[in-house]
Amino acid sequence: MRKTLALLVASTALTATLGFAAWSATRGPADAGPLPVAAMSQDGTPALPLILISDDDEDDEDDDRKGSWWGYDDDDDDDECDDDDDDGGCRGGARNPAPAGSKLPPQNGLFGTGAPPQVQVN
Amino acid sequence: MKSLLATLALTTALTLPGLAMARPVTLTTTLSSYGGDGAYLALYVTDPSGAYAGSLWMAGGKSKYYEHLTDWYRATGGDTAQVDGITGASVGAGRTLEITLDLADALFDAGYTLHIDAAVEDMRDSPNEVAVPLTTAGAGTPVTGRRYVASFAYDM
Repeated sequence: MRKTLALLVASTALTATLGFAAWSATRGPADAGPLPVAAMSQDGTPALPLILISDDDEDDEDDDRKGSWWGYDDDDDDDECDDDDDDGGCRGGARNPAPAGSKLPPQNGLFGTGAPPQVQVN
Repeated sequence: MKSLLATLALTTALTLPGLAMARPVTLTTTLSSYGGDGAYLALYVTDPSGAYAGSLWMAGGKSKYYEHLTDWYRATGGDTAQVDGITGASVGAGRTLEITLDLADALFDAGYTLHIDAAVEDMRDSPNEVAVPLTTAGAGTPVTGRRYVASFAYDM
């Protein structure tokens, strides 16, 4: 008799513990709203948490310029083609040219061998 | 001794003219107040037959926008090596770009033409915005562009 009682108590305690854990998981944080239905598996036990995949567009920063052919100022470094070196790596294989002062002008017969280009913007 | 002197005279005769084969030329481009963002400008030269001879300056550093400088792009295939070492920033509306280049004398009074292609974000591309023959007589004479260039002049 005592053994039977002990078994009954133990099983009751185990069931209660498991049930309480399941019940707690379904409730979530006190200040959270109801969980999405998808967070629950079909049998009511909690499923793995969902991870929202962002649809973040890498051009988010120029939302105000969508549809235009450039989204940044000339000085912006977010452009994947905007490398300071000559290694390219841009879409389509075109690299940005070397800026004035970093390299001699092209040997196209138009330039003399005198002073390097000087530029001023007023 | 005589052969040495002859050699020296020959090398001097060959070298001296070279010292006078180029001169500093200032290209001054003033943009109109067209109400848009900074303009990309390609300054380049064609020979007497109209064929592309080379680039003088590129205002605007991102090659992916060069296709909007349509005549330059068609002539060069967008080859950025054509403007290595002669590229600067784009030019804002109402601003003046002043470039001083050491240019070969042979460009002047020989049928060469300086062209400017212009392009502005969200506005119409303007190929051949400016086309001026390079002559000593034309130095200092401003010309007006088709759309974005209020005036262009070169001074020697």
